[in-house]
Amino acid sequence: MERVQRSTAILHGVMSDRLRRARVACALVLALAVLLPVGGCAGEDSGGEVDGGASDLPGAPPGGVAFRDPPVDAPAAPEISAELVDGTPVTASDLWEDRPVVLVFTASWCNRCADVHRRAAEVVDDHEGVALLGVVPRDDAEAAREYAEELELGYPIAVADERVWLNYAVREPPAVVLVAPQGKVLRGWPGGVETPVLARSLDELVQNR
Amino acid sequence: MRPARVAAGCLASALLGVAGCGGGGEDTVEAHLRLVVPDNNIRVEGVECAGARPFDYVRPGASFTLEAPDGSVLADGELPAGRAENADPSVDWGVERIPTVCVVELELEDVPERRSYRLRLPEGRPLEFDRSHLSADEPLQLIVQ
Repeated sequence: MERVQRSTAILHGVMSDRLRRARVACALVLALAVLLPVGGCAGEDSGGEVDGGASDLPGAPPGGVAFRDPPVDAPAAPEISAELVDGTPVTASDLWEDRPVVLVFTASWCNRCADVHRRAAEVVDDHEGVALLGVVPRDDAEAAREYAEELELGYPIAVADERVWLNYAVREPPAVVLVAPQGKVLRGWPGGVETPVLARSLDELVQNR
Repeated sequence: MRPARVAAGCLASALLGVAGCGGGGEDTVEAHLRLVVPDNNIRVEGVECAGARPFDYVRPGASFTLEAPDGSVLADGELPAGRAENADPSVDWGVERIPTVCVVELELEDVPERRSYRLRLPEGRPLEFDRSHLSADEPLQLIVQ
């Protein structure tokens, strides 16, 4: 009997503890429910999407768009395995497998970079099926979300280790690299590229323009 | 003794055009520094720049401190962007994009006067210079190491 009473007491204690935790959890949920619609999360739109994140990854290239084969002697593009600004893993070879990719090496602290990035995006906008991937350095990860939010380009931005920058011989942002389908480096422009030059290069890659 | 020394310092400052006098009674100087990043990166001369690897810690917004010989911080702030300058003006490169260095200019006013100073950047060796190296006529050039 004593054992039963003790068990009941223990059970009562556990239940009280659970009840307390449940109340605290309820209070937290309520507080979040009240705060979230007002504050939201920085860098996210109402749908919870992060600029430069997974929602900006391109789908399959549209049908009816074809690209020229790259020169056989073009060097292979070094792989970029990184995370987007929202933490989504990205593998650049998945992007350039069947379409050209414009890489823009950039950084939030680089005053010239946003303009170079924006102009490259405008050119890519005019070339259906072409992808654009921004690349920021690892130590810029936090500020890169704000950078992506301010630019709101609609293209993914990857946070890449120094190795990626070294592989592409980028010593200073901005730099733009054009990768042809099947992962061949066609051109690199340290310091950025003029809009007509990039447009012409993409025109030459797209067969049905 | 101290006021006389300050007054003398102010007079010398006025004559030299280098030093000023802080409101707190301490002698101050103006330190105009040219931080030369010897990265030899290919750029268009005159464009805005940051240090190229391995000097990429010299970038807009990077913090710096100016210290006295005893380690006390006399001034601090954030670096502005640099400007690309011809790495070797004796060469006519004949092209638009040339080997350059990135030059960051710092103008620090009302720096408490000390015999020498140490400029610390986020990485690399501190850059040391003497008070006597400061001039009102031209900035003191420091090579980032």
